[in-house]
Amino acid sequence: MDRGLLVLDRHRHLKWKQLDWVERCLMWLCGITIFLFTLSVFLDVVTRTIGTPWLWLQQVTTGFFAWGVFIGMAAGTRRNDHLYLVEMTKRMSGPKRTFMESFNRIVVLGVALCMVWFGFKNALHDLGSYRMPSLIPLTVYTASVPISGALIALFAIEQLVNGWRNGFEGPEDNENLDAAELAGEAQS
Amino acid sequence: MSNGYIILLMASLFLGLGYMGVPVAFSLMAGVLLATALTPISLESMIGQMFHGIDSETLLAVPFFLLVGELMTSANVTMRMVRLAQTMVGHMRGGLAQVVTLFSMFFAGISGSSTADVAVLSRTVAPEMDKEGYDRAFTAALIACASTMANLIPPSIMAVVYGATGNVSIGGLFLAGIVPGVLIGIGLMIYSHLFGPVGVQKMRATLGEFGTALKDSSLPLMIPVIVMGGILTGWFTPTEAGMIACVYILLVLIPLLNRGHLKNLPEDFIRTGLLYAIPLAAIAGASAFGWMLAYLRGPDIVANWIIGIAGTDGRMIMLLLVLLFIVVGDFVDAIPAIIIFMPIINKLTELGNINGLHMGVVIITTLVFGLITPPYGLSLLVASKFVGVSFSKAMFRSLPIYAVFLVTIAFVVLFPDVVLYLPKWLLPESVGCFKSPSGAGYICPS
Repeated sequence: MDRGLLVLDRHRHLKWKQLDWVERCLMWLCGITIFLFTLSVFLDVVTRTIGTPWLWLQQVTTGFFAWGVFIGMAAGTRRNDHLYLVEMTKRMSGPKRTFMESFNRIVVLGVALCMVWFGFKNALHDLGSYRMPSLIPLTVYTASVPISGALIALFAIEQLVNGWRNGFEGPEDNENLDAAELAGEAQS
Repeated sequence: MSNGYIILLMASLFLGLGYMGVPVAFSLMAGVLLATALTPISLESMIGQMFHGIDSETLLAVPFFLLVGELMTSANVTMRMVRLAQTMVGHMRGGLAQVVTLFSMFFAGISGSSTADVAVLSRTVAPEMDKEGYDRAFTAALIACASTMANLIPPSIMAVVYGATGNVSIGGLFLAGIVPGVLIGIGLMIYSHLFGPVGVQKMRATLGEFGTALKDSSLPLMIPVIVMGGILTGWFTPTEAGMIACVYILLVLIPLLNRGHLKNLPEDFIRTGLLYAIPLAAIAGASAFGWMLAYLRGPDIVANWIIGIAGTDGRMIMLLLVLLFIVVGDFVDAIPAIIIFMPIINKLTELGNINGLHMGVVIITTLVFGLITPPYGLSLLVASKFVGVSFSKAMFRSLPIYAVFLVTIAFVVLFPDVVLYLPKWLLPESVGCFKSPSGAGYICPS
């Protein structure tokens, strides 16, 4: 297994080594969720074809899918791999760069905190709702939002603190290929 | 505060933050959360709306088609298809340029991911083009333009998202995308032949060489047959077809063609796990944004504005939407754009009495053009990085190729009968036809 795939070395100056294990776990979870929902859709087709459909499989599938998206969203925040309209800050330096990078991360932090607080209230509210026919509480799905929000908030704080300490500029400013590649997949 | 002002504030915040460097998903959510705070809607329910935006079984097709592209690329199975394309068109004037286009058409039928296409071509054909003296800017421009076909020729991820959010048949969109996809392919081949570099003239491949290449790529080329065959026969939904294609690659292609790659499968899953989550996070934000836009009656405002100019003339409405989406596609990623503007598209489709499938293909073809136009021409950006040429040089080299796209968009708008021929023939229900009461044939809207 390529270690660089699990914990990205890009933007190392914005990361705490102590949180690398979180990124590693999130990346593994990304892989595991996609594997599990591939398997559950496969089993869904097989059981339906042999005439004994397991109806609850569809709910299990969407559960893995939703968790996969929100886990990936958190992992993408630590790896700076999100979809961007432009990456203009990479062309800046000095106090201007620090201000813009800090501002952007404070926006992310604000949204993440909203995800935590309002997502938590929403998930509590969903305790009384169930998915038919599996009777899985809706909270099992919607809890992914506040948990993802908490991780995103943690990573935003990590980047803010390290950025203020070490500066936001890094050697990878000219290598935005990976992010562009990831972003490109959305388009396809 | 009036609805119009809230919409303006929400859109400005999204674009402003987006252009300051906040990730798309978060700038969308920031705009929505601020707008929500100005309305009686609770923030709690808006976060719920964000979740419901991705809580869809249809959207599951997106990771499956991305996984297909990832597995095919990392297992190096795609080289076989490059060789097949070489035996078919490698001897022509500008042979490698023709190979790029033909391979993209093959690959489009498998992955639905333009970046995977760019990655494969940049790794395999671009170095060869460099050796043969092709201008790097032309190489990047052609690879980017050809890769856009992945969004039109089925399976297309844009079609999946459009179908899922617009309540349009995804199978129908897949079929309707074939005509514009092939038109772009033919246009690029003609352009390369007439105006592209000559390259090194090669001997025509013998029938034996072609036969060998065809035999070698027959297993990968079964994927489009499985996907479209499954959907058209009603055996699978598009999501299931994507999963079956993945299972086919995992259980048949890789063990038979590249057994050594089996140990790398966990990496492929992990990479795709992140790859699909990022655009879907933007979809979650865009879905809440679209919902808020609809709540604030944004579709009515835009629809009234467009109807004021075009009346209820379907073609004029489509033309104005094309202009709108050419501008939108230059600034916003295609998938959030589809979701944000879907309420407006639906409203105008209804007012102009336009076939939903026809509208879908027009919008997707227009957004595909946005992949190669500045400032947010993502395919061109990625291709120029991979090939090693500046974005501006690649962009100038792609300017004349824009004509191919503009002609294709015009064709799709003006000739719905040609574009909808395949869906009408193979999936009549997708274009609004229904079985005649006598049981023989279908009755279709004129």
